[in-house]
Amino acid sequence: MIILYQTLAVIATILFDNPHKPHAYLDPGSGSFIFQLILASLLGAAIVVRAYWKRIVGFFKGTSAEGEEDEEE
Amino acid sequence: MNSNPPETDNQQSGASFRDPSGFVFHHNQVLYRQINQQYQDTYLQLMDSGLYDTLVEKQLLIQHVDTPIPAPAPDQAFKVIQPEPVAFISYPYEWSFNQLKDAALTTLKIQRIAVKYAMSLKDSSAYNIQFYRGRPVLIDTLSFESYQVGKPWAAYRQFCQHFLAPLSLMVYRDIRLSELLKSYIDGLPLDLSSRLLPLRTRLNLSLLLHIHLHASSQKRYAGKKADTRRSVSQSALLGLIESLQTAVKRLKYSGSDRGWAGYYQDEHSYSSSGLAHKQQLVQEFLAIIQPNTVWDLGANTGLYSRLACDAGANTIAFDFDPVAVDLNYQNAKANRESTLLALVQDLTNPSPAIGWQSKERSSLFDRANADTILALALIHHIAIANNVPLDQVATFFQRLARWLIVEFVPKEDPQIQRLMVAREDIFPDYTIEGFESAFSRYFTIHRVEPVRESFRRLYLMERL
Repeated sequence: MIILYQTLAVIATILFDNPHKPHAYLDPGSGSFIFQLILASLLGAAIVVRAYWKRIVGFFKGTSAEGEEDEEE
Repeated sequence: MNSNPPETDNQQSGASFRDPSGFVFHHNQVLYRQINQQYQDTYLQLMDSGLYDTLVEKQLLIQHVDTPIPAPAPDQAFKVIQPEPVAFISYPYEWSFNQLKDAALTTLKIQRIAVKYAMSLKDSSAYNIQFYRGRPVLIDTLSFESYQVGKPWAAYRQFCQHFLAPLSLMVYRDIRLSELLKSYIDGLPLDLSSRLLPLRTRLNLSLLLHIHLHASSQKRYAGKKADTRRSVSQSALLGLIESLQTAVKRLKYSGSDRGWAGYYQDEHSYSSSGLAHKQQLVQEFLAIIQPNTVWDLGANTGLYSRLACDAGANTIAFDFDPVAVDLNYQNAKANRESTLLALVQDLTNPSPAIGWQSKERSSLFDRANADTILALALIHHIAIANNVPLDQVATFFQRLARWLIVEFVPKEDPQIQRLMVAREDIFPDYTIEGFESAFSRYFTIHRVEPVRESFRRLYLMERL
């Protein structure tokens, strides 16, 4: 019986637990958390699109698309 | 010298209890930070990955050294470090618009760099940023966590509450709304901010996303279990940070372009020779005192504060007007004046002690660290405009510092005539004699000098 419970617990952990579960001391807030998942994927996609766009423009202009902008002042 | 209120030796600071990674404490009036064992691996990652060195080199993170002093809670301790002391701890509700904006950009810049080193800010509290030698720096060495690709940014909501919401309200509603940060110690609730912001901010994509839709999402998903299997890719995380950077950078306060600057230049009752004479007297008095730390109360845009800086003092220029403080900050930043800190402060209602047990954020008096007070063209605003008896004005200054350079502005002065124009004169004691008699009860008057071509007098006093 104990073995059965343990097996179920392991399966439940595999199915439902997640390496990205927020375990920090700061509560990110469930609404904020869900919102970030959606928003960040859109913003990340925008970055990818922009990077390709720069490459295309660079190709026609004959310039390099590299030269990632830095966070320097 | 650290300015936190005196706590019992080795006692955990009243602001340092939330994060189980460690805490700050004072020992012989020096500030230390205990790092707990549970944070050991993360701390070593910060130090060994090169992130600490990079951030310190870029002047984004406060430097610290290891120290042999014993840990106050040894059973949990990994080690004790001694951070570089910050001369004065100020709070977001005392910052002007551009100070809060620079603090926000510093936070995002640190997060961007941290991700490159496989680390991430686990919180983004505005209180973790302090102005150190004129620049905003992160003072909480334990703010980092290990970053695994896929992990969302735990501090996203806090960033919006502490920075984006107040900044957008200051720009789109009223510059004075930073005062709300006093009531909401963990930043402005996003639903409240969304309601207070004008409708047109919904047309601003950044604010639509990070404030309005974010607030709706909080309401919609409140209490629901997040699908934690979904992850945020690294490019998505960087996209989020970049979007926040764009949102903050685009927020610009234009109040200082609307004639305020001119107002401050013209706002005095002096001829040019009177003004020069007043400056010369202040310089003379400062040379006698040789101050280490000066608080210039009612500093406006900091003309006289800079005389104190020139005399070698660390100077804080307080003013009630957030526009004047912002101009002062921007000038100090442009000229790299590392010993001048401009802050917003209403002296008739100074910053209170707030937070858990009223100990998280100290009152202005608890942070008093000046040896000299400059109070020029100020007395009449307190005594006449706010009806404070002169005796109480004197005790106020006496609580703050040993030395006082104070200007008495008598009733004949045009500024007072303006204040009195619509009201009865209920101030029979507001005379030179009344002023000297009230202040002599608390101070020795060392010098009295009439300011040329005006009705005003400048005093050099020392606490009894």
